[in-house]
Order: sequence, then structure tokens, then C-alpha cells
Amino acid sequence: MIQWLMNIDRRIIFIFVFFGVALPLLSNVFLPIKPTRDVVAVYEELEKVAEAGGTVLLSFSYGASTVPEMQPMARAILRHCFSRDIKVVAVCLWPEAPGLAQQVLEEIGTEFGKTYGEDYAFLGYKPGNFSVVLNMGQDFHDAFPQDNWGTAIEDLPLTRNLRTLRDFDFVFDLAAGDSIEFWWIPYGQEKYGFPFAGGCTAVMAPDLFPFLQSRQMVGLLGGLAGAAEYETLVGKQDKATAGMSAQSMAHLIIVVFIVFGNIAFFLSRRR
Amino acid sequence: MTRDTYIFLALVLTFAFVNGVLLANGSLAADWNSLGIMVAAGLTLALYSFLYKDNPLFKAAENIYVGVAAAYVFGQYWYQTIYGEIFVRLKALGGEDSTQGDWWLLAPTLLGLLMLTRFSRRFGWLSRFSFAFFVGLGAGLTIPRTISSFILAQIEPTLQPLSWSVEGLNLLIILVGVVAVLVYFFFSVEHSGVVGKVSRVGIWFLMVSFGASFGYTIMARLSLLIGRVTFLLDDWLHLMTN
Repeated sequence: MIQWLMNIDRRIIFIFVFFGVALPLLSNVFLPIKPTRDVVAVYEELEKVAEAGGTVLLSFSYGASTVPEMQPMARAILRHCFSRDIKVVAVCLWPEAPGLAQQVLEEIGTEFGKTYGEDYAFLGYKPGNFSVVLNMGQDFHDAFPQDNWGTAIEDLPLTRNLRTLRDFDFVFDLAAGDSIEFWWIPYGQEKYGFPFAGGCTAVMAPDLFPFLQSRQMVGLLGGLAGAAEYETLVGKQDKATAGMSAQSMAHLIIVVFIVFGNIAFFLSRRR
Repeated sequence: MTRDTYIFLALVLTFAFVNGVLLANGSLAADWNSLGIMVAAGLTLALYSFLYKDNPLFKAAENIYVGVAAAYVFGQYWYQTIYGEIFVRLKALGGEDSTQGDWWLLAPTLLGLLMLTRFSRRFGWLSRFSFAFFVGLGAGLTIPRTISSFILAQIEPTLQPLSWSVEGLNLLIILVGVVAVLVYFFFSVEHSGVVGKVSRVGIWFLMVSFGASFGYTIMARLSLLIGRVTFLLDDWLHLMTN
């Protein structure tokens, strides 16, 4: 038995993990979710923007490979913005992002009956990584002279008077790569001093915690859990909340395998 | 034919049969959207078939993904930047409304084109002008921003006054962790005696950090699996109730 456990076929573990994910999704069980401090901080910052009737810059820096984590986050943030009549300007700093950003903007915009050009604008993709952030800080219209469909942003009521990053009341980056740590913080937030927060994949979250302590970031949404917590705050249970019960079950299975593996390892050493 | 060939043939036939049933019972309509869902489901299953073992279905799906992603990214660069901003604005210089044009665009365009001379042995040296510009610009921009954002801004919260509170305890843990890990990476002194003990504490802090990162990595990978399983069960098979 111990030998079998030590040499267990990895495909058996895959089957366990698959059923651990699929069964909670099929049973439609929602576990209670308690929002953490860093997620609540983002929510409260957006509430402040809503009270001031402000505008938010939403940066999409992710691609298709991280959609399951990032798209629910984008949906939850946009729901909060549109439900509180916050104006949203969206830009993309990753070449794969425009299709995903357009999809979620149109979906949530339609859900809340928002008008393009007045309530939200989508400026598409611009290559250049951190230099685009610098460019936006110096002259927003120079960095993005036209929107995703070629209309001059001078002609859109929402973007006409937004001249630099300082004109935004809050900047939020949805990131699956370096953009928060190496583009937005050093070349945006530090240089121009606007309130900044981000949402990232779970892999990146531990690397970003130091920026919370230094207050370079107001808050942080980390992975599917962060998205689920934000859905709870917004009051609309969506795909992230549905996924958390599957996440918990899969974690439990992995922990059980780790414990059994270690027990088997120590028992085999004794022999 | 080997046993694996029969298994994969059976899977392909099962996939076709399931799609037929979904179309017949009306779960999927006979339109482009449903075709997209079926293709996405097939590619997802083909990619996950690697968990059994490497196979031609996986390789085909992998190559399709690389090709589609490369083409999509090229399309973004072309329409948004090369055509949308450079070509149109340079062309406008010679047109009726020359205010839409911008002479300054010639400088980065020329530097970008010089990069392409790397492909020529005869003119490859011209690319050095572009590289010199980018290295100089990059260093000039990066050095002050890095010092400001990653060193000065991080030292300040680490050296806050300690207090008898939970926050004070957190600050103490961070301070001890920073000092211990720095001592661990200080290789000019032999790690024995007090230095050895402090660096040992540093190792413990590093282990906790690696554990946290690994835990978050598992969470991230499972989130991706959850996303694909949700797609298969909900969008494709329509088995989820909400």
C-alpha cells in the first residue's frame, strides 16, 4: 500500500482534481465569502470616486490564457463603476487584450444601459509598455489620439478634457504580467501621484504585497478569490463566486494527497 | 494500430456524437456562435489530452493556438499602430488636412526601420543607431524610477516606529525578515556563530515566502482549470443549472 502511494500514477490525481472541480460546479453550491481588507480598500476607493462624480482609467493588461481569473474581475469592477455612474475610460497595454476588453465593456455597458462616448470609452491597444504610461502622464491625447474604432478622442465628450493621468480620479490595472509592478507603479503612480490599485493573477499576488504596505497601491484583487470577494461586495454572484467552491474542493484534494504522500514517505524511510 | 490510436479515435468519434446530440436536442443552434463553442470545446479537450500522454491531437491544438495568437497580435500591431497611427498620419502630411499629420513620427519610424537592417549583413551596422537610442533612453528612464519606486519607497514603510499593537507586531516581523534575509545573502562573511543563526532565520523567512508563492500558483492554475471546466459544462454541454 505504501509503495503504491509512493508510485501513484499522476493521472489518478488528475482524475480526482477534475471531479473535485466538476462536481461542486454541477451541484451549484456557493460557499460564504468574506471580503479581505485589500479588496474592500478598492471598493471604498471606487465609492469615493462615485461620490465625487469622477472618472476611472481601466487598463487591460491580460490575454486569453488568463481569462478565467481576469475576466470575472473586470466584470465585477465594471459592474461597480456602472452601477454607481462612474465614467470609465479603458485602454489596453497587451496586444491580446482588446477583444476581451471590448467584450466585457459592451456586455456590462448594455446591462446598465450606458452610452458609448459619454459614460465609457474604449481606446484600444498601444504598444510600448511603460513608455505608454509615461506618454499618458505627459499628454493623454498624444498617447491615444483615437479610440478603438478610429474616432478622435477629442470628439468624444468623455475624453475631450482628459489631458493627463492626473485628470483621472482612480487608475485600476487588470494585469497578468509585469504591468502593475514594472509599468504602472514606477512610471505612473510614483511619478504622477494618482490613486492606484490593481487586479492580478494569483501567481503574481505575493510579489505585489510590498506595494500595499508602502501604499503605492490602494488595494489589490488577487486571482479568482479576489474577483469572488469583489462580486460579494458588489452584490452580484457570478462566475468567480461559482468557481470558489470548486477551488476549495480541489485545494482539499491536493492537501490530502500531500499529507498522504508525506506519511507514505516517512513510513517507507522507517522500513 | 496501437491501443492509444483506438482510444483517440474513440474520443474523436464520441466528441462528434456529443455535438450531434447537442445540435439535435437544440442545446446548440446551427449557427456560427455554436460552431465557435464546438471548436473551442474540441481544442480544450485536445489540449487536456496531453495529461494522458503526448499525442497528435494535442500537437495540432497547440500549433493552432500559437498560429492564431501570432496572427491576432500582428493584426493589433498593424491596424492600431502601423497603419492607424503611422501610415495614416504620415499620409495626411501631403493631404488637404495636413494638421492631422505629424512630422515627429518620422523619427521613431526611421529608428524602427533601422532595426530591420539586422537582417542584412551589408547594412546591419545601421541598426546600432536604434539600439544605442533605446539602451540610452531605457537606462535613463529606468534607473531613477527604480531607485525611487523599489528602494526608497520600500525602505520607508519597513523602518516605521514599532508599537505595542498588531500593526507593530507586523512591522517587527517584516523588519526581522528583511534583516535576516539580507544577512543570508551577505556572502562576504562566513555563516557561522551569530551570522549563521541570523541567516538561518532568513532561510525560514524565504521558505515561508516560497510556500506562499507556491500556494498562490496552485490557486492560479486551478482557476484556469475551473474556467475551462465551467466552459465545457455550461457553454458547451449546458449541464450547469444557474
